[in-house]
Amino acid sequence: MSTPNLLELHNISKSFGALTALRNLSFHISEGEVVGLLGDNGAGKSTTVNLISGIHKPTEGYLSVDGKKTAFTCRSDSADAGIETIYQHTALVDSLSITRNIFMGRELTDRFGFLRQAEMRDIAMEVLQNAVHISGIDSPDTLVGNLSGGQKQAVAIARAVYFKKRILLLDEPTSALSVRETEALLNQVLKLKAENVSSVLVTHNIYHAYQVCDRFVIMSHGTKVFDVDKADTTINQLTEYVVLT
Amino acid sequence: MTPILADSAAPRSRTQRQSFLKQIMSMPAGAILLVFVTLQIVCIAGALLYPDDFRYLSPQNLTILMKAIPVLGCLALGAGVLMIAGEFDLSIGSVYTFTAILMASLVGAGVSAFIAAPLGILTGVMIGLLNGHITLRFGLPSFIVTLGGLLFWRGAVLLYNGAVQVRFDPEPIFTSLFSGTLFGINAAFIWIILFVVGFHFLLHRHRFGNHVFATGGNRVAAEAIGINTNRVKLIAFAIAGGMAAVAGIIATARVGSVQPGQGAGLELQAIAACVIGGLSLRGGRGSIVGVFLGVMLIHTITDVLLLLRAPGFYLDMFIATLIVLAAIFNHLIERRGLA
Ligand SMILES: Nc1ncnc2c1ncn2[C@@H]1O[C@H](COP(=O)(O)OP(=O)(O)OP(=O)(O)O)[C@@H](O)[C@H]1O
Ligand SMILES: [Mg+2]
Repeated sequence: MSTPNLLELHNISKSFGALTALRNLSFHISEGEVVGLLGDNGAGKSTTVNLISGIHKPTEGYLSVDGKKTAFTCRSDSADAGIETIYQHTALVDSLSITRNIFMGRELTDRFGFLRQAEMRDIAMEVLQNAVHISGIDSPDTLVGNLSGGQKQAVAIARAVYFKKRILLLDEPTSALSVRETEALLNQVLKLKAENVSSVLVTHNIYHAYQVCDRFVIMSHGTKVFDVDKADTTINQLTEYVVLT
Repeated sequence: MTPILADSAAPRSRTQRQSFLKQIMSMPAGAILLVFVTLQIVCIAGALLYPDDFRYLSPQNLTILMKAIPVLGCLALGAGVLMIAGEFDLSIGSVYTFTAILMASLVGAGVSAFIAAPLGILTGVMIGLLNGHITLRFGLPSFIVTLGGLLFWRGAVLLYNGAVQVRFDPEPIFTSLFSGTLFGINAAFIWIILFVVGFHFLLHRHRFGNHVFATGGNRVAAEAIGINTNRVKLIAFAIAGGMAAVAGIIATARVGSVQPGQGAGLELQAIAACVIGGLSLRGGRGSIVGVFLGVMLIHTITDVLLLLRAPGFYLDMFIATLIVLAAIFNHLIERRGLA
């Protein structure tokens, strides 16, 4: 325990009324690490992601960031801690432009709150061109509603890239994507990792997880049943754990 | 690299092929602008060709137009911001009358209009906040809550004042501030232009406006990113109520009295102006310029029909048709945007 882990979950339980969605769950995410969070439907993966992003509060247990105990009470708390979530159905506003979406909630303004539009547009252009290579987007003024699923996720990732997030939470990000868009997204995760950004990838596709993750946490019925480094496991073993537990 | 270039070139050439007309139509208030300009050209041409029969360009007529537009304009701006945030306010017509009567009777009791008018606006803001609070606290459709508000404040007018008209005799400076003229332009019209510019900057150039669009466009997403959507909506409700009171002040200063029944139906006209101006009934889309053009369009058509001495029901039928056409058009645009 010389350097504390970036994020740790300590004995977390979460109940929704009578239903216990998470039971005594503990795992950690290190800096620059990609963790695959696997498990059957209803295992509690999305609940875990929502907990880390501050949307749910744990019934018991706590989170720590950099070794310090923290309690996220809302989404902006976790945003301040450097956590960005990319949802199954991406959280973007269709009727606004790419630029406005990237900066939504964190607009660059003068001291009266007026938007520095030109500056935001330039940054959006820059991030889209250099950090997020996604084809078909020709202008940051395009309305997000006119983009494909993969392009939308690219915008969400651009948001994470620009705001120098430390942890990216991806909850089934590839469920609506083409093969090519999936490939691009997984490459993004690796590129961010090279810049020391950690990711938590929730997916039902073990091959995708195996392709990019350094470590796997397998959940079943709200608790952790397996936690293993990539070097110590195989796709077959992972599949067995997901299916049989 | 080559396939990526080919990919990104395809949509661009598609844009290039778009005609000038299509480009205008795809601008936020483009379609309404086109309709408005066309109507103006027809009216002006008509007025030049038949100056004696169609007095559209006569100073009297232009003055009537400039005096009529600000009242509906203020109501529609407030209602528009709220609609973009994803909520409705049907009570603004009643609030408009209630706050105007409150102000006029305060002035009648010897209070300065410069104190009574801000009190009227404050009352409008408080009513808006009340509407918003009930709507958000209980998760109700604002349509129902403010329908209640419409009836409640209409009744409150009669309770407070009875069915009699109230005279409004403010200081002369107050009157000239709202219904005088400056360089031949009606003061109320200058006010509405200032409001349009102010609202444009608030909604399209300010952080708050961005949050209004986000809240109305995708509330879940806005919340996920950390925007306090309840607060945004509450402020929008307050703006709608406050602007209803401002409309009341402008109307009262112009006429010099308040009729207890004067606001009836104005809330629907305001929403009509918003829809004609390109606002989506589902929220998240639209522009302030569009709303203002919607207001001007309604008043231009009213005016033209009056000049042509057409019976009043034509007006209602005309506006009704316009609303439905505008709604269909907006819907098509939205669907294309989501495809
Ligand atoms: N807001 C909620 N209220 C009540 N129960 C919930 C809520 N969110 C999740 N649950 C329950 O918690 C359990 C875990 O759900 P969760 O969404 O975390 O599963 P998951 O692992 O993401 O599944 P999937 O792979 O299908 O997305 C489920 O039984 C679900 O019904
Ligand atoms: Mg899930």
